[in-house]
Amino acid sequence: MVDAARHPQVEIISYAEVDRVDGYIGNFRVQVTKKPRYVKMDLCTGCGECAAVCPIEVPNDFELGLAPRKAIDVPHGQSVPLIYAIDMDHCIHCYQCVTACGKRDAIDFGMEPEVLDLEVGSIIMATGFDNFDPTVIPEYGFGRYPNVITAMEMERLANSAGPTVGKLMRPSDGRVPKSLAIIQCVGSRDKRFNEYCSGFCCMYAIKNAMLLKQADHEMDISIYYMDIRTPSKGYEEFYNRAREMGIRFIHGRPSQISQDPETHNLIVLAEDQEIGEVIELETDMVMLSAAAIPRLDTDEMASKLALSRSPSGFFMEYHPKLRPVDSPTDGVFLAGAAQGPKDIPASVAQGSAAASRAARVLSQDTWEIEPVIASVNAELCISAQGKKCGLCAKACPYGAITVEVGQPAVITAAKCHGCGGCAAECPHNAITQDHFTDAQMVAQLDALLADKPEEKIIAFMCHWCSYGGADNAGTSHFEYPASSRGLRVMCSARMDEDFVLEAFRRGAGMVLVSGCHPQDCHYITGQQVAAKRFSRMERLLQRVGINPERFRLEWISAAEGDKYARVITEMDAKLKSFDREALLAETLAARPIIGKRLARWKASPLMAGLVPLEATEEVLA
Amino acid sequence: MPEDGSLRIGVYVCSCGANIGSVISPAAVADYAARLDDVVLTRDNLYMCGDPGQNQISRDIIDYRLNRVVIAACSVRMHEPTFRTCVAQAGLNPFLMEMVNIREQDTWVHAHDPAGALVKAKELVSAAVAKVRHVQPLQPIEVPVTKKAMVIGGGVAGISAALDLGDMGIKTYLVEREQSIGGTMAQLNKTFPTMDCSI
Repeated sequence: MVDAARHPQVEIISYAEVDRVDGYIGNFRVQVTKKPRYVKMDLCTGCGECAAVCPIEVPNDFELGLAPRKAIDVPHGQSVPLIYAIDMDHCIHCYQCVTACGKRDAIDFGMEPEVLDLEVGSIIMATGFDNFDPTVIPEYGFGRYPNVITAMEMERLANSAGPTVGKLMRPSDGRVPKSLAIIQCVGSRDKRFNEYCSGFCCMYAIKNAMLLKQADHEMDISIYYMDIRTPSKGYEEFYNRAREMGIRFIHGRPSQISQDPETHNLIVLAEDQEIGEVIELETDMVMLSAAAIPRLDTDEMASKLALSRSPSGFFMEYHPKLRPVDSPTDGVFLAGAAQGPKDIPASVAQGSAAASRAARVLSQDTWEIEPVIASVNAELCISAQGKKCGLCAKACPYGAITVEVGQPAVITAAKCHGCGGCAAECPHNAITQDHFTDAQMVAQLDALLADKPEEKIIAFMCHWCSYGGADNAGTSHFEYPASSRGLRVMCSARMDEDFVLEAFRRGAGMVLVSGCHPQDCHYITGQQVAAKRFSRMERLLQRVGINPERFRLEWISAAEGDKYARVITEMDAKLKSFDREALLAETLAARPIIGKRLARWKASPLMAGLVPLEATEEVLA
Repeated sequence: MPEDGSLRIGVYVCSCGANIGSVISPAAVADYAARLDDVVLTRDNLYMCGDPGQNQISRDIIDYRLNRVVIAACSVRMHEPTFRTCVAQAGLNPFLMEMVNIREQDTWVHAHDPAGALVKAKELVSAAVAKVRHVQPLQPIEVPVTKKAMVIGGGVAGISAALDLGDMGIKTYLVEREQSIGGTMAQLNKTFPTMDCSI
């Protein structure tokens, strides 16, 4: 901690929140708001005379409420930076602190939040984890029985810098406990709460047991476990040492903890699977090894940086094996428990790994980004013909498009991120998205629907999420029927309703449009553009005579392989439930109607040879 | 592209060891692709991403004057960068190469239906061949790099990242929500496996 504060290249911005992140790899702009401390950083000496005279005591969050802090205080003695702050929710404005501070004059009740705009080339997310709240497990009595504590409370109560100066005492009577039961997997490996293993709880349970046993050899300590997990280097030996010290390991998850109302001792009921018997042990104290859970504001941070979440809720890495510290957003990396439960050695290693990945970008003068951007065909743009339009500019999440009546729309290449939303929104096909052009999309539909189209499901997928979800179904080997044919674009915003119509015109049995969940979109609001567009699809399909049940819209994240497989399975079953002859007749009847609508593609020179000519001829005839 | 402007498409089908090859026949997919318009060369290989596989593609681009390449293998999220670099080294614009996902989105999810998986692989290859007929060479966009970093979260992982970046001479902002950095680690008593203090 101190090293970071003293490092000439590291600037700590504490007591601050990240409000907004704009930009892209190499060129992020981050707005950070420093909360007012009401204490001037350059004048505060950290002497603590202000706190000494402050008459207000409030629970100290750092001590998990086990000890008080003053309304002007630091969380703990080793705080970095050692600068005091006033908790204005509790301050009574007696100004005794101002008097105590005296000539140092560090206290400023008029301080306002300070907004910083910072430019960086790369960002590392190391936002950590929260702790599972065991009050939701009524059978363990946490919150009702004073001597049932969490592991984090144990860390403070057994800590020489903690509220009891390292002397473990029972909250009910201040007596030093002679016995302790430690319960593992509280809120983890439990399908009611979290399926995942919280990873480091076995080791900290053993650690706490060993520290207490070292301090008091007579202390009776039992650890109730489902499996002891010690996969890292030296951990199994650590566990063996604990057994040799006489710490008891009981293979079983307790079903009930009750309290003796007189003594506040606790009775732990569990099945000991080693002997196959139900056992009841009385103990002075219980420690619950509560799971590490994703930060409660993970969604909020995820949407600020266009990150995704794994099924467990932690931030998702780009690839679980090959790019474990990269996030799905270029230039943003993940470190520590924000990505999944991790102990200290793993967090430090991942911090270094993320730094190295970030430096890979920051060591360069320039960085190559994908040239997949959009451009305007001035001849087709109706704005150039003096008509009011601007739909493209409205769809652009980056403000990269400017439209002036009488001039064709202008796309600023440096601002364009290549979602393709403008290309899909333009009713005159005047915008082309490189590498995902209308012609390329229609050519693929043509190939995919050349043979028995009525048996096929065309699945439009966005690159970042639903394509990732389909990949995840693959890596998880979730089987689904082989009737789907995937078509990848960068963002669901690129999915033109004309592509869906063209798929049906060419006889596709079903069409799926899939993209990210709203908060996961890699193009800020691209998904919203798609969601709005496809909310109209049912009516459009009815108008052209296609049963809307043949169309489905789903938001599938890169972690939701199970969902992708389920959606395709359900669509396949639905398709098979339709009468084949009726389906073919429906397509045949709709074909000229759709063809007429799509005839405007003829104006685009790129579409030569691909326009639904036969259909338009039918209409013309 | 040759002077006459004609398309010369090469199609490569990967077996990925048994990952693809145990469900469908890569050779059958390649045979199918050989009959598609403008396809002048098809090959299947045990591992397209391996050195021999990549060398083969590079050689073929030169020897057979390929101006479009389709590679049916794994996910674009896995090996698109690999094969883009591979074709670029042989002088082909990387955007004239298209990948077809016949592993994650085919053989790995249709192992129970090898016949269906084979038809799907063929049609996906056919779609990629259709797409590359319309692709254009694109030049990567170079953007400047601001040589500063931000670490959000001042726990043990964030501190470790910030110190390493700082040691590399990179100006780093370490943003912490609380009054003090340290995160959960600062709250801990002695820590395993060394049993020393956490701060």
